[in-house]
Amino acid sequence: MIGLDVGSTTAKKVSIEDGEIKYQITGTHNWKDLITGIDGNDIISTGYFRNSVPHCASVTEITAAIYGVRYYFPDVDVIVDIGGQDTKVIDVKKNNFIINDKCSAGTGAFLEFVANYFKIELKELGSFHSRAKRIPAINNTCAVFALSEMISQLVAGFTPEEVIAGMHYAFARRISFMIPGARTLVLIGGTVKNKGMLSALEDILQTEIQVPDEPQIVNALGALKYYY
Amino acid sequence: MPVQKKIGLTALVPPELIFACRCSPFDVNNVIPGSKKYPRNKLCAWTAIWQEMLSKRELKLDSLIVVAGGDCHNALVDGQKVEMSGIPTHFFFYPFDGDPLYLESQLYNLVDFLGTIESPEKSGQIKELKKIGKKIDAKRAQGKLSSGNVFRIMISFSDLMGDLDVFREAINSLKEQKVEMNNRVALIGVPPIYHDFHDVAQSLDLQVVFDELPFEFLRHSGNDIHTIARDYCNYTFARPLDFRIRFLQKELEKRHIDGIVHYTQFACHHMLEDEIMRSKLDYPMLTIQGDLPGKTPEQIKLRLEAFREALDRA
Ligand code: SF4
Repeated sequence: MIGLDVGSTTAKKVSIEDGEIKYQITGTHNWKDLITGIDGNDIISTGYFRNSVPHCASVTEITAAIYGVRYYFPDVDVIVDIGGQDTKVIDVKKNNFIINDKCSAGTGAFLEFVANYFKIELKELGSFHSRAKRIPAINNTCAVFALSEMISQLVAGFTPEEVIAGMHYAFARRISFMIPGARTLVLIGGTVKNKGMLSALEDILQTEIQVPDEPQIVNALGALKYYY
Repeated sequence: MPVQKKIGLTALVPPELIFACRCSPFDVNNVIPGSKKYPRNKLCAWTAIWQEMLSKRELKLDSLIVVAGGDCHNALVDGQKVEMSGIPTHFFFYPFDGDPLYLESQLYNLVDFLGTIESPEKSGQIKELKKIGKKIDAKRAQGKLSSGNVFRIMISFSDLMGDLDVFREAINSLKEQKVEMNNRVALIGVPPIYHDFHDVAQSLDLQVVFDELPFEFLRHSGNDIHTIARDYCNYTFARPLDFRIRFLQKELEKRHIDGIVHYTQFACHHMLEDEIMRSKLDYPMLTIQGDLPGKTPEQIKLRLEAFREALDRA
């Protein structure tokens, strides 16, 4: 039996063999490679394309995230999943969730937009942040206005590193409005690797944020765990 | 017999009086969910689309009644645009405090606008139809009728399809069927702007057994201005929130609801009520927001499916 998470950019396969988690990740367009020789009756799917791939059962990303995160943090209260297209906040204890997929300022797309502006790789944002000596205030929560505010801060003499740190704070503040108080807060999704964003969010929420060892495979694992 | 005047309505206006004045009501919201229009100047798509269609005469009506007070300020403004385009328009106000005398005076003004009461017997006929409507609504909650089919009848109680005989026939054509009730859902707020919402919910194993606003359409009646005023003054959407919430609590309990879907419309003040509904109604609740009409979008389907899974876990 495998858990298969086919999202908008990547596809992941997870199985548990002798108590050990085995996984494989590929680009969405290559998702078929993950299931060569595997029967649809042995697949539990999740992700945006969960209903377009062979499966015997499917589960939404929201429920998959709960089961996947619980494997690492059984006491999780709140899960924040910041993806490229949307941000999901799941209140596990209250069995409640909200999704922002309307405003790009609160999703990974905004970070990508900023990285493009500075002509750097998305994964470099975190290291830029760590080199900042000051953190300028960026108050706008709208992506377009935030960018013009960032440009003003550059003109005012802040370095790109500092402006990126300020942007992470603005981003984290935007996300924080969606997050209820929690003892165990777990972050998943593409942005977890951005340490700058993570520390800004911890600072704003005044909470330690947990990140699973293998954040990319949490949903595929959760799909598998949901049925077993 | 002279040709009946076709009167547009923007929300609940006692159809009893419109029929009694020998006019034919038409709820302008009927055309919205199926519309492909992208209105030029919009906040809420409901009012923006009927405003544009009426002003451009894409919808042919003799006059319009706008429910403004106690309901919707967007409608109040868009209604005035329609009036300025040359369509005779009347503004109807519900009392926030439920004062029946105030509503009575509003009803007299309404009759003045429409003409005179010529067919008072229509009120009694409508009352009978509403009784049947309540039975249909109860049958749906018992799993004997499909949620979508019942919704389509209930929502039509605002104008009774403009013709009591046609409407009676539509009701009679409802066929009983067994519906498995796995997740009993109350749909509160304004109705979704998507034309397939109830069927989509059913396909995701969510059975809508309460439609808040359409239920208001069939809940109120009366035989004359005096009794109509005393019943319609309790139209919950026009009253203070605690009044509406108390009513909801009773209805939800009666229907053994498992969860609530709160539909909100982009740029509608009802969105502000969400946190109050969440704090006062002790049920799992999903809030969704729609904007333009059409089929239920994938993002909304994802939320509904995840909500069903959450109900499974509860
Ligand atoms: S959805 Fe809200 S804003 Fe739109 S017509 Fe209805 S009450 Fe008015």
